Amino acid sequence: MTRSGPLAGTTFPRLASSVAKYSLLSLGALIATGPLLFALYTSFELPADYPRLVALSRLTLWNYRYVFDNAPVLRWYANTAFVTFGVVVGAVVVNTLAGYVLARIRYPGRTVTFLVVLAVLMVPLQAILIPLYLLVAQFGWLNSYQALIVPFIANPFLIFLMRQAFQAVPVDLEEAALIDGAGRFRSFLKIAVPLTMSGVATQAVLAGTWTWNSFMIPVTFTTDPNQYMMTVGLNSLQSQFYTLTTVQMAGVVLLSVPVVIMFVVFQRLIVPSFATAGIRG
Amino acid sequence: MRHLRHLALGAPRAEGRRSLAVQAKRDWGAAYVLLAPAAGLLGLWFIYPIVDTVVLSFQRVNLFQFSQRTYVGFSNFHQLLDDPAFHHSLFITLVFVVVVVPAQTAAALALAAVLQGVQVGRTFFRTTFFLPYMTSTVAVTTVFMKLFVIGGPLAAVASAVFGVANATWYAQPNLALAFLVIVYVYMYIGLYVVVFLGGIENVPVELHEAAKVDGAGVVQRFRFVTVPSVRPYIFFVVVAGFIQAVQVFDQAYVIASNGAILGSPAGATATLVIFLYQQAFRLNNLGYGSAAAVVLLLIVFAGTVLTRRLLPER
Repeated sequence: MTRSGPLAGTTFPRLASSVAKYSLLSLGALIATGPLLFALYTSFELPADYPRLVALSRLTLWNYRYVFDNAPVLRWYANTAFVTFGVVVGAVVVNTLAGYVLARIRYPGRTVTFLVVLAVLMVPLQAILIPLYLLVAQFGWLNSYQALIVPFIANPFLIFLMRQAFQAVPVDLEEAALIDGAGRFRSFLKIAVPLTMSGVATQAVLAGTWTWNSFMIPVTFTTDPNQYMMTVGLNSLQSQFYTLTTVQMAGVVLLSVPVVIMFVVFQRLIVPSFATAGIRG
Repeated sequence: MRHLRHLALGAPRAEGRRSLAVQAKRDWGAAYVLLAPAAGLLGLWFIYPIVDTVVLSFQRVNLFQFSQRTYVGFSNFHQLLDDPAFHHSLFITLVFVVVVVPAQTAAALALAAVLQGVQVGRTFFRTTFFLPYMTSTVAVTTVFMKLFVIGGPLAAVASAVFGVANATWYAQPNLALAFLVIVYVYMYIGLYVVVFLGGIENVPVELHEAAKVDGAGVVQRFRFVTVPSVRPYIFFVVVAGFIQAVQVFDQAYVIASNGAILGSPAGATATLVIFLYQQAFRLNNLGYGSAAAVVLLLIVFAGTVLTRRLLPER
C-alpha cells in the first residue's frame, strides 16, 4: 500500500469505488444520526411550528421550560443520576474484588465458582423478573432507590470481564509484594488494581450506561412518579403530552445527551467493550 | 500453579513467622472474604431468582397474595400448550427473529466490509454507526413513533417509495411488527458492525490483493474472500443476535404503554417477553408467567450452548 490519502494516485475505477464506498457510509451515517438530529431540532421548535421546518431564529427553549414546569423532570434526572452512581460504585467494588479472586487466588471451590458465573452469564433479566419483583416486594422496596441499585451491583459479566483483566496483568509484582509480607488486600489495592484501571473504567462505563438506559426494571419496580427514572418518565410523557411532539422530543434529548456526551468522549474505551458485552447486553 | 510457585518462593522469607500451611489458609480466608459480597449479591439477586422462576412455574400465585403459593404440578405448562395467546406470542417472536437476525447480520457485515476498505474517517463512521446502540430504547422508540406517525416524515417516505399506506405504523396491526423490527435493527446494527470489524481486521490483505490480481471485483471479493474469512464471526453474530432478539421487550412496551393491554395493536407486537410480562404484571398470574419465563430460559440456554459449540475459545 503506497497511497497516502484516500484519493492519492488513483485511477478512475479506484476513484469510482471510493465514491461509492463513501456514499454508502454517508448514507449509513445519515440513517444512524437522522432520528437523533430530528429529535434535537424538533425539541427547539414551537409546538405550533411542528412539523414544518423553520428558520434557526425561530427556534426556542420553550419545550424545555414547559417540560420542566409540567413534569418532575428534575426529580427524574436526580433519581437516574443517583441510581446510576450507586450501581457504578457498588459494581466497581464488588465485581473487581470477585474478578481478582477468580484470577489470582487458588481456593477450594474456585472452579465451581467460575462455572457458576459462566452459567448465569447469559440469563436475561426478562426471565427472572418475576422472582426479582417478589423479592423486592417482600423487602418492602417497591418505589425505593435500593430496589433499583442493590440487585444490579453484582454482575456475572462484569466479574468475568475483571477476571480477564487481572489475568492479562503479570503476576510477578504482586508475588514480590506478597513475599515481602504485604497482605492480600494490600497487594490487590496497591498493585493489581492500578494495573487494571482500564478494565475498571470499562466496567464503570458499561454499568453506568446499562443503568442509565434501563427501562424494564424501573418501570416494573416504581409506580410513584416521584421515583421514576428518566426512561420511565419519558415514557409517561407520551401519554401526558400526547399531542405535544416537541415537548416529548425535549424529553428524548434530556435523556440522551449525557450518554451521548460520555460516549463521544470515551468512545475508544466504550466501543470495544460493548462489542464483547453486547453479546450479553 | 501460580500459587504454588509463589508459596515456594515465599518459603525462605516466611520462615519463623508462619508456616506454608498458615500462609495458604490465610489466602483461602482472603479469597472467601473478598468474594463474599459478590457471592451474596449474586446468590440472592441472580441465582435464587433463576431457581425460583422454575419453582414458580409449577405453582399458582396471585400477584396480590404472593405469599400464598399452591403447587399445581405441570398444569401451567399444559395450559401454555393449549393457550392460543402463547402460541401467538411464539409466532410473533419467531417472525421477529427471522426478519431481524438476517437483516442486521447482512447490513452490519456489508457496512463493516466497506468501512474496512476506506482509509479516512473510519473512526468517525464507526462512532456514528454505534451511536444508536448507546441511546436508550425508550428514547429511540419515542422518536421513531413520531417519524412513523401518519403524515410523519418516514411514514410519508415509505408511502411514496414503497407504496405502503401512509399510516401510523405502530397503531396498524399489519405494520406494527415491521415498525418494531425497524426500531430494533436500527439500534443493533452498529454493535454488530463493530463485532465484524474485529473479524475483518484479521483477514490478511494479501488475500484481497491476490483476488484483485485474479480480476475479482468488489462484490466477488466480498463474497469469496471476506465472507469465508469471517465465517466464525457470522455464526457468532447470528446466534448472539438471536439470543438478544428473543428477549425484545422495551420497544414493544413503549409502543403499547398508552393502553393497559401490552402487545398492541391487536397483539401484533405481543412477543414472548410481552406475553410473560402481561401474564405476571397485568393479569396477576405469576406462576403462569413464570412458566413462559422457563420457556424463554430454555431458548436462551439452547442459543448459548450453540455459541459455545461454535466458538470454543470464548
